Amino acid sequence: MKWIPQDIETFLNAKEYIDTAVIPLVPLSFEEDVKQSAEMSEFITLLTGYIERQFTGRIVLLPSFTYLTHKNMDFLLTELTNWKSSVEQGGFKHIFYVTSDIGWKEYEDILGPSLLWIPSIPLEKMEEMQKWIIVESQGKQLLNLFSRKWRENE
Amino acid sequence: MSKHQVTRRQFLSYTLTGVGGFMAAGMLMPMVRFAVDPVLKGEAAGSYHPTTQKVADLTDEPVRVDFTYKQKDAWYESDVTATAWVYKDKGTGKIVALSPICKHLGCTVNWNTNPDHPNQFFCPCHFGRYEKDGKNIPGTPPPQPLDLYPFKEKGGYLYLGKPQPRTEV
Repeated sequence: MKWIPQDIETFLNAKEYIDTAVIPLVPLSFEEDVKQSAEMSEFITLLTGYIERQFTGRIVLLPSFTYLTHKNMDFLLTELTNWKSSVEQGGFKHIFYVTSDIGWKEYEDILGPSLLWIPSIPLEKMEEMQKWIIVESQGKQLLNLFSRKWRENE
Repeated sequence: MSKHQVTRRQFLSYTLTGVGGFMAAGMLMPMVRFAVDPVLKGEAAGSYHPTTQKVADLTDEPVRVDFTYKQKDAWYESDVTATAWVYKDKGTGKIVALSPICKHLGCTVNWNTNPDHPNQFFCPCHFGRYEKDGKNIPGTPPPQPLDLYPFKEKGGYLYLGKPQPRTEV
């Protein structure tokens, strides 16, 4: 499900089947890494879009958690924890954070296996079909992770 | 041969009818076009999209066919990539093109990915299963069979239309 009214309507009617939330973590910067920030945003948007298409009936793709780079990491972590508890209260059993920002890697022990870090691939010069193939090959690995996590909790 | 006389009155009424007719047509034509537009649109929606799958290469084993087409969403035109599972039935020799969208909550189903239930379509989200012909297996979540693509063959390649829901297989 996407974060749009029709899908949320379905979600409300079939809550017992939809137990997983996906939150893209996207950095925003206007300094020398401005282009990299845009690149990550494109890649993560396409990647989470692919996951959403494959698993429409079981996950909700939430709006991106967007933050300024060089911001105090502790502050971001507190904010993300707030998101987490709200999402859990909303009835989700599993939460996955998908990001290309290496900064989150240090906090793997706090965020646990829910943190999925995937290095971003520059897609700017690619044809539509080529992009699709790249995103699919990266996304497939994540799909397995999702399936495994669901099976563990059966 | 008598000379046909056109009176001033006749001349004026002919010219006025002619010019008036043109003006009326100029006004009515767009109106008629607007009125019948939905009908013309309906035909466009039923159009077929080309794929890279050769019809001659199809076998009894379902293959994944990806194809891309342009879709207009409000003012935003985007490339949409859609997928179909296509096979040629051994018994009847007919081509079957199934939509991969699970009829339960819309996940993407895959062919033969569950080792416990070979030769079935399997939905990874809630373990829904379908027979090869798209029929939903009772006791699993899906309420309906998979949608069926209408198809055409053009120049040896497979063209797919818009998936149609079915209630019975």
